[in-house]
Amino acid sequence: MPWPPKVFWVGLLMIYGTAVLGWILESTVKIQKIPAAQIWYTAIWGTFLLPTLVSFIYFYFREKAEAKKAVEKKEVS
Amino acid sequence: MAESVDPVVIAIVLIYLIAVVVIGYYSRIRMKSAMDYYVAGRRIGSVVNGLALESTYLSPASMLGLPAFVFLLGYPFWWAMMAIICGMPIAALLTASALRKYAPVSFADYYADRFGDERLRWWIGIIVIVGTVLYITLSLVGMALFMVAILKMPYIFALIIGTVITMFYVVYGGMIATSWNAAMQAIVMSFAAIIAAAAIVWQLGGFEGVYYAALQSYPKIWNTPADFPDHPHLFTSTWIAVICWFFVWHFGFATMPYTVVRFFTVMDMKTARRSIFWCSLVGGAFYVSLQIIGITAKYMIETSHPIAVAAGGNMTATAVLATIQKTYGIGTVTDYSMIAAVEALGNPVILGILCAGGLAIAMSTAAGWAVVVNTIIARDWFVKLLKWKKAEENPVLFGRIVAFIFLLISFFVAIQPPALVLDLSGWAFIVIICSLGPGLILGLWWKRATRAAMWVTAIVMFILSMVAWLRAHLVLGHHARFFLNDIIFGNPNALITPHQVWTIPVGFLLFVIVSLLTKPPEEERVNKYCIELTKEV
Repeated sequence: MPWPPKVFWVGLLMIYGTAVLGWILESTVKIQKIPAAQIWYTAIWGTFLLPTLVSFIYFYFREKAEAKKAVEKKEVS
Repeated sequence: MAESVDPVVIAIVLIYLIAVVVIGYYSRIRMKSAMDYYVAGRRIGSVVNGLALESTYLSPASMLGLPAFVFLLGYPFWWAMMAIICGMPIAALLTASALRKYAPVSFADYYADRFGDERLRWWIGIIVIVGTVLYITLSLVGMALFMVAILKMPYIFALIIGTVITMFYVVYGGMIATSWNAAMQAIVMSFAAIIAAAAIVWQLGGFEGVYYAALQSYPKIWNTPADFPDHPHLFTSTWIAVICWFFVWHFGFATMPYTVVRFFTVMDMKTARRSIFWCSLVGGAFYVSLQIIGITAKYMIETSHPIAVAAGGNMTATAVLATIQKTYGIGTVTDYSMIAAVEALGNPVILGILCAGGLAIAMSTAAGWAVVVNTIIARDWFVKLLKWKKAEENPVLFGRIVAFIFLLISFFVAIQPPALVLDLSGWAFIVIICSLGPGLILGLWWKRATRAAMWVTAIVMFILSMVAWLRAHLVLGHHARFFLNDIIFGNPNALITPHQVWTIPVGFLLFVIVSLLTKPPEEERVNKYCIELTKEV
């Protein structure tokens, strides 16, 4: 069965991990009541840095794996 | 209300419109073949495609609707906005790379080939046509709303200007013009939101100032369901509701035709993956800006908007917005929340850039849908299915005629848009994900996906999602209510679950069940689509 690469699951874990952690902290210690805290973790991190970082690792590690494979193929031939 | 418009605002908008026309004209020179018209010759680079993805995917519903949602539902809605942007990278390895490797021309190519049935092009075309008319109408109305509210222009003139310019570059330059214009439009709309948000943050004295200003305007605004019963709004009153809002638009980027076709235009898989990085980077900055504008809109309007100031500072933000809505007579009260918040800054440069940004986001979405539908009808229906020789000999001409007709139909609908048409654009988004999404994703990642499942899911979910959406909207009063609330629970507010949240799992479940009950696809087809395309995505 086809299966997405490991890095795909790492990205998913980062995204859903952030959301679940945020909701747990908001429902238990009300972290969103700390002035400006939610601007940092939901907006700056969650909406801007996190998706940018995940899309970066998605292309960076795939390209690295492709380059490694190309070198191995060259050595074999 | 003062009806004069600062010349700076007019100048900025004119510069933007001239840039759109110039890009459209020069793109025409680069167009040499039908492949150039349909998929920009597959020569688009990662930065241009990333920016084009952002402006095409994010419609006026983002720029006008999401700050309005934050204005109404409070901080918990920020999570939903985070999820929209986080849906972008997920598409990179789920659909974008594999589809680029496959390199189709039209959105329906993959379905017809993977499931071995050319007739699927008919049904997919019908679903796309419905989405196209609703989305282009929404975009034209959004475009006109910016011009009416900021340039004080009569609605019909605003509509004509927006439609004619979009028509010019889409019909004239096809996918090349659409791609380059969409990239430019992404920069304009993102810059507009970023500069407006930065000015608000600056005026309020930093992020802490934003926090306290929002708190002052509405003491419950930063509350979450944990603060029950002091939640900001009924629709964000439970964690189920917050989680539902999170997933509501999360998967659109991976499956919507106007984003999927953009992966066909890039040079290779590497470019497809990289383009999503640029899209997330700019889209993320754009959305953070919308979050800040939305959360501070109430405060900005009540303290600094000219109408509130003229009333001695005793007007609520809703009363100000109602006055504006009454003046122009189009859209809903909350549609004006973002424009009014920026007007409150009293800076004509920022207001001019916002107007250009509003036109940009609307034009790019309308153009994105126009190029999807012209390929499906001119190429798939006329050439592939009807074998019409004239269409085969003149593919670009037929593509142009189709794009022209759909923009014209949407223009006429937009002249006096029934409220339901604009509301239905929300349904248009989801019908594609729940009826065509399972076939797209499982067709790539599950060998057992069958033709029968594709047909059943596409037909059943199209009808079911529309009936459910209309029932929630018309009978229960809002589409965010679960459509069986009154029947199962005897209470229209029992479950706040925007219908997308359940239609997508139901669509996938239906697809899996029908696949397991029907004859497996041929080995050769499975190897081509599930092994070769998904290998090393």
